[in-house]
Amino acid sequence: MSEEKPYRRLESQDLLQQIAFRHGLEAMAASEEGRLAWVTSGFPVEIPVAMDVFPTYPEQAGAIVGASKIGPEVCGFAEDLGYSQELCSYARASIGSTDRPDDTAMGARPTPQALLACNNICGTVLKWYDAISEMTNAPVFLLDTPPLEREQLPHHRAYVRRGVDRLVEFLADTFNTKLENEKATKVADLSSQAIRLWTKVLKACANKPSPLNCADRFLTMAPVVSSRGMEHCVEFYEALLAEVEERVKGGVGAIRDEQTRLLWDNIPPWFTLRFFNQLAARGVGFPADTYTHAWSGAVEGSDIASILDGVVDVYSNVYLNKGLEAKVDKMCELIKDYDLDGFVMFSVRSCKRYSLGQLVSKEMVTERTGVPGVVIEGDMVDSRLFNEAQVQTRVDALLEMFV
Amino acid sequence: MSYPILIEQSNQILRELVDAGQPVLGYIYPHIPHEIVMAHGLTPSLVRTNPTTVGAYEDSLQTFSCSLTRNLFSQRVNGSFPLLAGIVFSSNTCDALQNVADVWRLRFPEDNVIRLTYPVGDSGNPAVQYLALEIKAFSDALESLTGVAFQKDAFIEAASIVGGIRRGLQLLYSARLVNPSLIPYDTLSELVGEFMTAPTKTVLTRIEKKWAEVLDGLKKEKQDGVVEKTRTALLSQDMGGINLTSDSAVRIAFIGGMVEPTTIADLINNVPGMKSNTVVLDVLTFGFRTVFTPPVETEGDPFEGAARSILGAPSEPTQEGLSKRVKLLKDVLTHLSIGGLVVCEQSFCDPDEFEAPSTERAAAEVGVPIVRLPIDPELSDRARLEGRLQTFLETLDAS
Repeated sequence: MSEEKPYRRLESQDLLQQIAFRHGLEAMAASEEGRLAWVTSGFPVEIPVAMDVFPTYPEQAGAIVGASKIGPEVCGFAEDLGYSQELCSYARASIGSTDRPDDTAMGARPTPQALLACNNICGTVLKWYDAISEMTNAPVFLLDTPPLEREQLPHHRAYVRRGVDRLVEFLADTFNTKLENEKATKVADLSSQAIRLWTKVLKACANKPSPLNCADRFLTMAPVVSSRGMEHCVEFYEALLAEVEERVKGGVGAIRDEQTRLLWDNIPPWFTLRFFNQLAARGVGFPADTYTHAWSGAVEGSDIASILDGVVDVYSNVYLNKGLEAKVDKMCELIKDYDLDGFVMFSVRSCKRYSLGQLVSKEMVTERTGVPGVVIEGDMVDSRLFNEAQVQTRVDALLEMFV
Repeated sequence: MSYPILIEQSNQILRELVDAGQPVLGYIYPHIPHEIVMAHGLTPSLVRTNPTTVGAYEDSLQTFSCSLTRNLFSQRVNGSFPLLAGIVFSSNTCDALQNVADVWRLRFPEDNVIRLTYPVGDSGNPAVQYLALEIKAFSDALESLTGVAFQKDAFIEAASIVGGIRRGLQLLYSARLVNPSLIPYDTLSELVGEFMTAPTKTVLTRIEKKWAEVLDGLKKEKQDGVVEKTRTALLSQDMGGINLTSDSAVRIAFIGGMVEPTTIADLINNVPGMKSNTVVLDVLTFGFRTVFTPPVETEGDPFEGAARSILGAPSEPTQEGLSKRVKLLKDVLTHLSIGGLVVCEQSFCDPDEFEAPSTERAAAEVGVPIVRLPIDPELSDRARLEGRLQTFLETLDAS
């Protein structure tokens, strides 16, 4: 008889696989029809979707490359082209898989007709898409959203709004399409519904035991990243929320014996999600993380003008477009709201925007919340930059504090 | 002048300014609105990396923060920083500077950290309008810092000094391209370094004097006209009318990001085979790109004038416009008879490292050999860097 696993599998994962498969087929069809755009994860995807331009996310492809444990090999293809190993591994995986798609099972994206980047998540996205543009001849559109220090000032807002207007013009010119009121409001509504459902799923994790663990959320966040504004995205989160609420109602946790509740900060190491399952075996769960909470702003509006205004609000105010103190505030809020015992900060070598500052914010979070934390270092895709034994030692040291 | 001597001299100048009651505003990203800073009675001064600095950043920054920020942070921790009234960090230029500014504020709350946010987008007038209002906010912050409001007279005088310095340096850059024997690269880089240490009348006078000497030589060779044309072409980024010829000597250029010309001058001094007329141009952020910034218009809104000036400079890897940069590079290489290109890559500098392969391909397309030089402020791998350059020169000589 096989031993019982320390974590419970979500039934919604089957639906998730179907959605991922369908999304892949639709992306291929869109590419052949000349209406595929690659989009960064913080891009206002509602606009291309409303203009019948199909989006696909290379960051998600990078996660697949990582999870397939071929990160070093695919990143190496980019390094062969002259891109430094010090650069973002999502970008290297993307450049590598574009150069050698036949050698990148699952991780290669269909050829784009446009590259839509928004620098609200980092400055790397522009450089990365410039590189892809040189390889594919697809034009790059940059929506420039300068980082916010405090509240968004009127001239800042006006600049981003002009960028959004330029985006509509760019898509109209590139794809011979236009933004129409009925479609725009429908897409915005579907996007908002998905975000609201996803937010409810996340909030349900405040329950004890938490109905979802870190790895569950990292997997089930895929549609809200890739398919906001599409009907199947809403359908998926309705199903997921129902399953989550059922677990809460029955007092069923994501892990079988939740004893210690921690916060996770940053992108996960996609090549070793079993890291979370191994901790689950020791009663350690992660009811909250900063990464999946990043998709929480709903674009709402009753007409094109108000929707575009909403786009400016939501996409300027994303988590990574704010300063260190805002990040610390968010971590403290999550620790309090989810009643967490400590936190783990994953210092991702190839993501400077997310990671630089963690040494200081660790001290601040502990000072403000009184809970201990640990910083571990590695990468999200490139397992050459992850020393499992060293990470284990550090996490063990943190866990000893809870004994 | 070697880079360590430049640092020493720069610190001495700053000490003298501070002792004389002249407040100094440090900056890290070179495209600062010098004229606006000076209009508040401050002297803008580049905060330099120091090759002799011992690492002291580890409690606050990870090792993958770029080598520039690690070095500056270590200097601050070690207490070897010059006395500054404030320090300006750029925002929206690169992820390292973005986050390190926050860390700096939290670690050194006694420092006056001021942010200036730049547009990345190449959107024309909207970008100018945005930057103009950011510079206005920056000016307001300087007023809060110093208690000195923006002074129009000081602004006009600053525009005259900075404009004069830039014009003189542009002519010297162009003269070096036309006739490198008239102005050594280390002299040119030293003058650029002085501009960045303190854009004063004294520096302007030195540059004008050097230009007068060089001009004499150019006139004797009947090359003064072509120098002016080269300057105009570089300033307008249109090389169409220029075709410099070369004697048999190898002419090479340096390109890259956060490296100073003085660092390059220091590095090439000991490379066997490197002759005084070998390096004819740098296309560095702290050199060519800052020098070839168009002058500020003093009529009308000064903040908009400053924004137009900054955004009129040759673009760099932190900004949109890779295809334009590639085209300009190809034009520069072909029209200015450059036979080899050295691509500097600052360690853990995303903009530098992302753009290097495109630069390499562009050079290859016009038949110019390149060598990539992974570099850090400490020149910690100096012997190997010199070896790479020596080998590169030998390859060029043999071809």
